[in-house]
Amino acid sequence: MRRTRWLLVPIIVIPVTWLLLSGFSRDPREVASPLIGRPAPEWTLTTLDGETLSSNDLAGRPYVVNFWASWCIPACVDEHPVLADAFARFGDDVEFVGILYQDDPAAAAGFLGRYGDAGYPHVMDPGGRMAIEFGVTGPPETFFVDAAGNVADKNFGPLTDAVMAEKLNSIMPAASR
Amino acid sequence: MIPSIGHAAIVVGFGLTLYSLAAHVLAGRSGDARLSVSARRAIIGSFVAAGVGCLAMIVSLLTHDFSVLYVAENNATTTPPFISVISLWAALEGSILFWTLLATGWAALVLHRYRARHRALMPWVGATLSAVNLFFFAVMVWPGNPFLLTAPVGSEGSGPNALLQNHPFMALHPPLLYLGYTGLAVPFAFGIAALITRRLDEEWLRIVRRWTLVPWIFLTLGIVAGAWWSYEVLGWGGYWAWDPVENAALLPWLTATAFVHSAMVAERRGGLKIWTAALVIATFVLTLVGTFLTRSGIVASVHSFTQSAIGPWFLGAIVISLVASLTLLVWRLPQLVGGGRASGTVSRESAFLFNNVLFLGLTFAVLFGTLLPLIVASTSGDTISVGAPWFNTVTVPIFVALLFLMGVGPALPWGTASWTTVRSRFITPLAVAAATTALALVAGLREAVPLGTLALAAFVGTIMLDEIVRGARSRARARSEDPATATWHLATRNRRRYGGYTVHLGVLVMAVAVAISSGLASDRTVTLAPGESAEIGGYVIRHDRLAIEPLASDARVIETRAEVTYSGPQSGTLATALRDYPNSQAAIATPAVRTSLAEDLYVTLLASDAATGAVTLHLFLNPLVVWIWIGGAIVGLGAGFAIWPERRPRTVEVAEAHQAPAAAMVEGT
Repeated sequence: MRRTRWLLVPIIVIPVTWLLLSGFSRDPREVASPLIGRPAPEWTLTTLDGETLSSNDLAGRPYVVNFWASWCIPACVDEHPVLADAFARFGDDVEFVGILYQDDPAAAAGFLGRYGDAGYPHVMDPGGRMAIEFGVTGPPETFFVDAAGNVADKNFGPLTDAVMAEKLNSIMPAASR
Repeated sequence: MIPSIGHAAIVVGFGLTLYSLAAHVLAGRSGDARLSVSARRAIIGSFVAAGVGCLAMIVSLLTHDFSVLYVAENNATTTPPFISVISLWAALEGSILFWTLLATGWAALVLHRYRARHRALMPWVGATLSAVNLFFFAVMVWPGNPFLLTAPVGSEGSGPNALLQNHPFMALHPPLLYLGYTGLAVPFAFGIAALITRRLDEEWLRIVRRWTLVPWIFLTLGIVAGAWWSYEVLGWGGYWAWDPVENAALLPWLTATAFVHSAMVAERRGGLKIWTAALVIATFVLTLVGTFLTRSGIVASVHSFTQSAIGPWFLGAIVISLVASLTLLVWRLPQLVGGGRASGTVSRESAFLFNNVLFLGLTFAVLFGTLLPLIVASTSGDTISVGAPWFNTVTVPIFVALLFLMGVGPALPWGTASWTTVRSRFITPLAVAAATTALALVAGLREAVPLGTLALAAFVGTIMLDEIVRGARSRARARSEDPATATWHLATRNRRRYGGYTVHLGVLVMAVAVAISSGLASDRTVTLAPGESAEIGGYVIRHDRLAIEPLASDARVIETRAEVTYSGPQSGTLATALRDYPNSQAAIATPAVRTSLAEDLYVTLLASDAATGAVTLHLFLNPLVVWIWIGGAIVGLGAGFAIWPERRPRTVEVAEAHQAPAAAMVEGT
């Protein structure tokens, strides 16, 4: 009793610490997407330039779908150069498309004017239908679709170069890696 | 300039607190009185420093100084002065600054109050409070600097949190809650001081009783105000969702309530020492855990603003305070064991013991439910959520048992109760409960939980009334006073007991209101074109007009408003709206609530069609909801009555009144 009572301290402290510590390694809003391994939703939408773009136009090639918004500061600003850089390096093998999440075209164009337009298309999503189909909870969220049209991976929150490289790997054809 | 003053004040506060910690420890070891005095002055100085910091922040907000990042993120040139001021607690960094002001305020108050008394305890109380405050100052010096500057300086800010702007209750709910949270550090500090100095007699318990009840009142009112706010603003027709942040406030409240009860046994009968000491520690650690869980973003909640660098600091603070206080407790364990006088199975003590077991059970249940998603995610990686049905299933039986005990406990004598006493006390209340149930059944009430709660409330209420009447009667006889005067005299001379009765009455009112309002509420969703009507429980609701226009007070906010005429038990017009704030993703609902003592008519706008003017409305009829707020106010008043200083020492006559059988027991809460 005299000695063993000291065990009380680690018995209480260690699990509490472990539990709270492990909480840091995950984002509470991050929900595993049921879409992974399934065909990506199909869409036909209008780009900021007024052209029509459809998921069928991208079929047969891997592509990245990035949900973003001009009001999503600072997360979307932070990941903007990551996307631009990835597009510059891998744009020949992988298509990129931005889907605007609850935003208006003028504000989106303003954002691209200020932070730089990498050159890949951005489409409007009237009524947020695509966001619902993809199960987006809030921008930025990014989906990685392979050449077969299946969602291979997704990222919640701002992309970093490392995450981008890792996730692109899962959809790029082996030869171009 | 102003931000620099604010930042300097924080650094000075940090230095003063560091000094006060060291000086208090030295004073505690050496007993040097002069050191105690200078340490106390340092704490008062830290309070002034925190005050200057808060003032600098308020001035920065009022003058829209967007060079301060916090102001740029939580203020706009259009923000009205009142909202600017309360934006002090709109986000994390400002909240911590405000929190520090309150925490140093409590510390300064308690040290000043006992500057000439409890010479052995106070240096350690001061040291503990300084250590706690040091943490908050350190957070502001390093990871959570509220005066962090930003460049380039914009000409406009993002504006305050939309929810903050939408209802005046935001001016009330956070300060009340923070006053409660920060105040609970005081009983913790006394507990630690008692453990360090081995003065584990009744001394610290006597002091701490009042210093626990005051923050307890603030915490109670803060929780009720939060529930009220969520009812008036969030538009889902309810007031309690078992959201992690609600639980975070509830957890320390539960252990503090358990402490208030167990301290009475410890003080009166000398038992439950370890238990009581453990409860103050648990209460304090739970305030930290609660803050950590909700503010660090570990548990998803409306209140977790961002994932911030402050999280690891909080984790460190929790671990340090847990290790330090547990070590101390275990070290002193041999001195804490025993000391209690024996008592019977059916007695006031055993009622208190059950009360504590139930409160602890509730604490574990709520803690488990709150942390389960985290436990599952950490072990298996799955994402689960624990919803209101789980919490209701687990906690309602415990709440019901507590309600029962609330009636039975105060009516049982200390020591051992005889069967005759028990029978004579409980026969009438049981009869009244049966009669109430029968009446409710005749009136058409069939739902089990409301029915059971009503019966239990009648039982408990009758016992309380009986206690009060017996006491008054015996005093009225002895002093030839009229019953009302006798009751008042008894109450003002036995504030703890009668204050406790009042708190219990408030809880009773809340319990009935919660059971009825959740069991008998009705709601329906209707889509109405202009001119069309719908019915709900005796009310006719007519949609008159849909308006979409900017708010008069802030043109950047677009309001979509349904104007409605209602008739029935109440009649008039109301407007229910959705507001689009420029910095909020989702529209903020502005439900219309028409309150009467019997029921609330609650109307939320769900959707609208600008082309046709049609609206989709969610109509709720929530019975008795107003009684939840009234009950909360009664609880606050009762606890305030209990701790109000007595005008003069107890007189011989009161001691006589105590000997009457009904009053042969002690103070209630």
